[in-house]
Amino acid sequence: MGFCMATVAAHNLPPVPDAEAPMPSDGSSASAADVERRDAEFAREALPWIDDVYRFALSLTRDEADADDVVQETYLRAYRSWHTFIPGTDCRRWLFTICRNVFLRSRERQRPTVDLEDGEQDALAAGTVYEAARERGYGDLYARLDIGPALRDAIDELAEPFRSAVILVDVEDMSYESAAEVMGVPIGTVRSRLFRGRRLLQERLASLAAEYGLTPAAAGSDR
Amino acid sequence: MSAPQRNELEALGLSASCADVVRHLWDYLDDQLTPEGAERLRAHMVSCTTCRGYSDYQTCFLEAVARVRTKSDAPSSLRERLAAGLKSEGCSCWDAVRKERGGN
Repeated sequence: MGFCMATVAAHNLPPVPDAEAPMPSDGSSASAADVERRDAEFAREALPWIDDVYRFALSLTRDEADADDVVQETYLRAYRSWHTFIPGTDCRRWLFTICRNVFLRSRERQRPTVDLEDGEQDALAAGTVYEAARERGYGDLYARLDIGPALRDAIDELAEPFRSAVILVDVEDMSYESAAEVMGVPIGTVRSRLFRGRRLLQERLASLAAEYGLTPAAAGSDR
Repeated sequence: MSAPQRNELEALGLSASCADVVRHLWDYLDDQLTPEGAERLRAHMVSCTTCRGYSDYQTCFLEAVARVRTKSDAPSSLRERLAAGLKSEGCSCWDAVRKERGGN
């Protein structure tokens, strides 16, 4: 059809930083001035994102103590690997990449390698969910201000890697390209995972609506 | 635009169909469509109330998900711990961790 750029875009991402890259060991030692400059850069570029990294870690771990551990490890690795950060690039994205790697390793899991073939199937399924919701009087579900708690719980219930895709793109407002770098996958895979996550969310929300006391409007109404 | 007119545009490939909208609406809302593809979807939705309703529904969904983002500051206990960790690594800016607030 020639509609979509994400499905045809080449996998042409900037290099993903190695979160565990050791300091260079070429036999020379960094001068005090070098260390001072490095630390100043680290303070200027990395430290302002602690709250963002914490929020992301919390959304991944769903546990405050675990999030603390992940943030701590993220920043220590970032400091040790600061020489791999490319000045002028997106430090928040770089930190999120490390953070997600730390999280996955903390779960003793390999980086997910789920590759969905066709995000369009999920888009089509979402259309079916919408029709069913309309028939039950929930066509305006997402326009309601009281949807927040149910939505948060539904996101928490999403399995990886779909949760990461939804959090990075839809909650943290990252581009597909940035999310691809954080997740270490091609852009098309981000799209597939995102669409699956959205579809699963909408299916879950449709079943949770009544449970959360979200009463239906007149059946068949759009808004 | 009447339905027959729309059907004519669809037949000429100048307008998307309802199925195209369902298939590609998320791509459209995420700004991932080619300009031509986006224009064809727009052309269809201008005259199709059903697809406009579906677009509104999905737009509201994405807005609701975006609202889930909350302000979650790193707790001071974490900042203290992180400052100690960086200090032990030899980082001279360790104390800034306790003072730094909010990049976004």
